Amino acid sequence: MTYKQSRRIFLQKTALITGGLFLGSHLPDLRTLAADQGETTEEVKLGLIGSGSRGQYLMDHLNLIPGIEVVAVCDNYQPNLTMGVQKTGGKAEAFTDYRKLLERRDIDGVIIATPLHLHSLMSVDALQAGLHVFCEKAMAKTPRECLDMYKTQLQTGKILLIGHQRMFNPRYLKAFEMINSGQLGDITQIRAYWHRNNDWRRAVPEPGLERKINWRLYWEYSEGLMTELGSHQIQVANFIKKDFPRRVAGTGSINYWHDGREVFDNVNLVYEYPDGSTLIYDSMISNAHYGLEEQVMGPKGTMELETGKMYSENPPPAPGILQLLNNIEHKIFDPLPLGGKSWVPETAREAKGEYIYEVDLEDDGTALEMEGFAQMIRENRHSDILLREAYYGAIAALLGNEAIKKGEMITFPEEYIL
Amino acid sequence: MKDLVIKGSWIRRELIILAIIFLFAVVVNVIGIIKHDTGWIELLSQLHVVFILMFILYALLWLLRLIIYLVTFPFRNKKNSKT
Repeated sequence: MTYKQSRRIFLQKTALITGGLFLGSHLPDLRTLAADQGETTEEVKLGLIGSGSRGQYLMDHLNLIPGIEVVAVCDNYQPNLTMGVQKTGGKAEAFTDYRKLLERRDIDGVIIATPLHLHSLMSVDALQAGLHVFCEKAMAKTPRECLDMYKTQLQTGKILLIGHQRMFNPRYLKAFEMINSGQLGDITQIRAYWHRNNDWRRAVPEPGLERKINWRLYWEYSEGLMTELGSHQIQVANFIKKDFPRRVAGTGSINYWHDGREVFDNVNLVYEYPDGSTLIYDSMISNAHYGLEEQVMGPKGTMELETGKMYSENPPPAPGILQLLNNIEHKIFDPLPLGGKSWVPETAREAKGEYIYEVDLEDDGTALEMEGFAQMIRENRHSDILLREAYYGAIAALLGNEAIKKGEMITFPEEYIL
Repeated sequence: MKDLVIKGSWIRRELIILAIIFLFAVVVNVIGIIKHDTGWIELLSQLHVVFILMFILYALLWLLRLIIYLVTFPFRNKKNSKT
């Protein structure tokens, strides 16, 4: 499916959602995108700070969208800088110091795709330079930095959007709508996990570049699995719960990749929301069998957001004739029990579930998110809902790491409640 | 090579058998609806199941008749040879 097709479906779905009550209550402010833009796409000029793998991935999506031009690229690692400029067809101006890039007066906004420890510094500088900012997730490396970014946005009035692309993914939006309409009942538990089976390393051309290239593996630059993967899923859980967790406890360690890394290669946490419901989260990089998923559970059903499937707790009964034939078949072919059943193992149900979103989209929401950012710039309209989602998602992820490191239950600090 | 002749009476007999089996499958559907308290709409919506059941039963009946024919075949030959 092309980006255009994906976008058209997104707009249809968003129009459907915005027609209901959901938007008014809690859906991200997507009216910007849902508006009929026709062919009027005023050119938005952007600068890209950080043209490593993620930055290049974003560039690939930006290149799909009409009305966006990346006119400047910044990276302090020459191979990445060269690749970034190449992806603009060689048109973009190259910088090795982001502050020089921020001085360009013809830029509307910047995209920040640098290592986590630089998010806050660069975002705050860009906002104060009068630029709109799209910053990759997680929002920042510490709760204090997250708060600084939030406050700076309030002071400057510029757009600050954090890269949680699931909030622009039509499948997720459909799921949010269904959950919000009560199809699962009150959400009592969310289980989310992200499992991979790789060392999470990138090839290093010379040993001196180890920490620069594999920054994800060191506490100085990264908060590991919780910010790189967990923040996405915690944000989704928060959005579903329309709240943020007040307590978290858990454990984590390096139990497989003993290769000099500092961050955990597995994390296992329980987050508690004010209504007593929980988010059970784990991530590991030594087994990929279960992949990633967010399982949302309520008394009426279960929803799996990544696969986009719904499982009812009380599915409609099979037609009478099938039940009758099934009973006859069981009576004939089932073995005769010697004694009454005292216990039946309550193993998982084998229901196949129903797809909640019939269209298989290639875009995971990233291109739509990029377009959303450009359109927000055109209309000079910031989304406080999306920023708060990112803020609470990031802080919850960071508190998860703190709980693991301290080995105790951590309560969400009052000073960080907006 | 002997020609295979299908008589009109044979076709009529098979159609009657098929109709009886169809009615039987419909009755099974009705019993299923009543016993499991589902909707009468299933008389129409589950018609495909009724047809599948009908053809399965018809095939089973064919199989039964074939077995009977094979079992009684030697006796028929003796009987025919005497007459």
